[in-house]
Amino acid sequence: MNKRSFTYRIRKDWLRNKALYVLVIPVLVFYILFHYKPMYGAIIAFKDYTPTLGVAKSEWVGFANFTRFFNSIYFGRLIRNTISLSVYNLLFGFPAPIILALLLNEVRGKKFKSLAQTVTYLPHFISLIVVAGMITDFSLTTGLFNDIIAFFGGQRSPLLQNPKLYRSIYVSSSIWQEIGWGSIIYLSALAGVDSQLYEAAQIDGAGKWKQLINITLPSIAPTIIIMFILKTGSLMNMGYEKTILLYNPATYETADIISSHIYRVGLLEQDWSYSTAIGLFNSVINFALLLFTNKMSKRYSETSLW
Amino acid sequence: MKKRRALSLMLAVTVFAASLAGCGSGTTASEQPANTTAASTGGTETTAPASEEFSYPMTSGEKLSYWADLQTTVSTNFSNLGDTPFAKGWMENTGIDLEFLHPPIGQAKEQFSLILADGNLPDLMEYNWKNDYPGGPEKAIKDGVIIPLNDIFEQYCPNIMQYLEDNPDIDKMIKTDEGHYYVFPFVRGDEKLCNTIGLMLREDWLAELNLEVPETIDEWHTVLTAFKEQKGIAAPLTFEYTNNQYLDANPFVFAFDSFRSFYLGADGKVHFGASEEGYREYLATFSQWYKEGLIDPDIATLKSDQVSAKMTNGTSGAAMGQAGSRMGVWIGAAVESEPDYMLVAAPQPSTEKGKMAEFGYVEIPYSGRNSVAITTSCKDVERAARLMDWAYGEEGHIYFNFGTEGVSYTMVNGYPTYTELILNNPDGLPVSEAMSSYIRGNYNGPFVQDLRYLEQYYTMDAQKETPKRWGSASSNGKSYMLPPITPTSDESKEFATIMNEINTYRDEMTLKYIFGSESLDNYDAYVKNIETMGLSRALEIQNLALERYNAR
Repeated sequence: MNKRSFTYRIRKDWLRNKALYVLVIPVLVFYILFHYKPMYGAIIAFKDYTPTLGVAKSEWVGFANFTRFFNSIYFGRLIRNTISLSVYNLLFGFPAPIILALLLNEVRGKKFKSLAQTVTYLPHFISLIVVAGMITDFSLTTGLFNDIIAFFGGQRSPLLQNPKLYRSIYVSSSIWQEIGWGSIIYLSALAGVDSQLYEAAQIDGAGKWKQLINITLPSIAPTIIIMFILKTGSLMNMGYEKTILLYNPATYETADIISSHIYRVGLLEQDWSYSTAIGLFNSVINFALLLFTNKMSKRYSETSLW
Repeated sequence: MKKRRALSLMLAVTVFAASLAGCGSGTTASEQPANTTAASTGGTETTAPASEEFSYPMTSGEKLSYWADLQTTVSTNFSNLGDTPFAKGWMENTGIDLEFLHPPIGQAKEQFSLILADGNLPDLMEYNWKNDYPGGPEKAIKDGVIIPLNDIFEQYCPNIMQYLEDNPDIDKMIKTDEGHYYVFPFVRGDEKLCNTIGLMLREDWLAELNLEVPETIDEWHTVLTAFKEQKGIAAPLTFEYTNNQYLDANPFVFAFDSFRSFYLGADGKVHFGASEEGYREYLATFSQWYKEGLIDPDIATLKSDQVSAKMTNGTSGAAMGQAGSRMGVWIGAAVESEPDYMLVAAPQPSTEKGKMAEFGYVEIPYSGRNSVAITTSCKDVERAARLMDWAYGEEGHIYFNFGTEGVSYTMVNGYPTYTELILNNPDGLPVSEAMSSYIRGNYNGPFVQDLRYLEQYYTMDAQKETPKRWGSASSNGKSYMLPPITPTSDESKEFATIMNEINTYRDEMTLKYIFGSESLDNYDAYVKNIETMGLSRALEIQNLALERYNAR
């Protein structure tokens, strides 16, 4: 592709679609200014950053920040906890909105459908702090969850002090909060499925289940795959907010993740370089996973992110 | 066609412009640190010889900028400290105009780093320079953020110089290892101000069960068991376990001559309590109590509102807390529905009847909080110094603690007594908020806190008893508290890494022992693990810091 023809084509396109270009310029500027330009700051991962010296004048330390992190006694546990929580979230939290969307799609009564949708969306809008407060209260020995357990003949216990239960509580509450919101995109994909396909299948004698497997799922497969690839791209990115609100030293062994551990270091010493190094480490892993998943998806299906 | 093109182009541009409206300083709440305006005003003699006659209020001059966290008891009624009667009086009395800048609540540390990166510092910054500046206060001076104050004190600050002369132990605390003064500190002027946290229990229940206020661990066991068995209480002893300050002040740890972290041993060296024998005894007792159901089963997750609920609705009978924000609040809330409700303060428990506990929780008078430094951006250092020095003189001291005579206090037999405006505010403000509008005595700041404020802040008898029961009144703890030592900036990173590991391990294992999921037979393995994590190196760093401190 020779350069001249590219600029020529751009100019012609611009003349034809000025409005579209004008519309997209702020988005481009936003990404360049707030996402690409700050990448320069990632170099403080290799420096000993002091705010007074600034990014440029801070001393280079090479990989010291990374070795400090890798040599931490809890390094293995932190990685394990971060990944297992992410994988659980993916394993259970990914199919949940899809299943909900499929179910809602079958509902005939419009009123009930809207009601169900609203009820499932609402938790998404509740602030995380409130949700965590509710979970903490309900998990007390005298709380709601224990009331239910006792009702079914179980033994009351302080749920959030049990490291074995932590992952279940964490993932279930995430599912509860996000299932409605996450189902939106699948519902819209489902709406686009040609109803003639269903009619043709019915004529051929296919039951509900066969219709699901052969028509519905393949139709929304591209959506599912894209969403999945995107999710694997944030596998290492477990944020510390929810963890900090739900954990306590009794559950550190399953609850303490990379970001919450570093948060506590930050309480002792504000080390910007250290946390940047860890963030960079996370991003590299995420990106590698993203590339891998995308490649796999390209090979085995026609859908891929790029 | 053309009309349609024009319309769509116009719409596109409108959307473009509308999206730009979103760009703009997103943080409207935080005000940008303004540098002192370069308006050249005369009247600033920068080299005033010390012997020159000087009096307040000063002659008019440039406005100074003052950056500080806005305390919640102020922010409920005022959005800027400058609007308070306190600040207005302060500026009037000293003759210096101030512009107050506040970070968004709870984000002081973040905004602090941003301001530093920006380079345009306010003239005066109130902050915990000792603990919260990475690398320590000496580094803050070396980095060119704040100025050392030794010459400044000598030239312009007779009040604080006098105070430091009269209080050589404070003098040592507020210097860096290199001997530089770096702040106008917040100092608790009396020992009794240094212990506002302790144990308290339901006095009405004790009376009902015919029990005395417990003084030893065994007596505590009796009382808690009585609460459980005779009164049917589900969680006799509850605890705000998620609060780090409470963990550090846990009286049951102290009862066994132990400490949660570093303390000053009798041999003059730094020790780490959580890997010593006393800590094992604490764990043994506490886990036994947990097994017997004397301690709240949900202890690890409890936050302040849950503990408050349990103490006021009768689910629990004993807890730890401050006299003001816990005891006073609980009594005030519960008495309405239960007129017999009363709390009583219990002393630091010891293991032997009649013997005062060795260890106990006493805060050091200088904690580093809310102390003011003069930054390198300040152009009129003399003015800033004189402003801050006023608080340490007789007039300023009274003003910061009690306010304006006739308005917020009156002299009754030489004792500054708060007026009804403060204690029974006509606008319905609680005492703490009324106080914060007129004084700084009930929170922290660059002045010396006066005990007489506390004596009146505690309105209930139960509260007034607390200084006599807690802290130095019931233990020798003062001699074991570590002075404000700081590691060097090189060591501090290493120290933080080691301690994060050790703290994580200690907190995790402590709960495991208490819950019984780990047997205390493995205590030696636990101690060994802490050693492996680098405890001896951490102790080495601390002991070096202690040596430097003693040599100041």
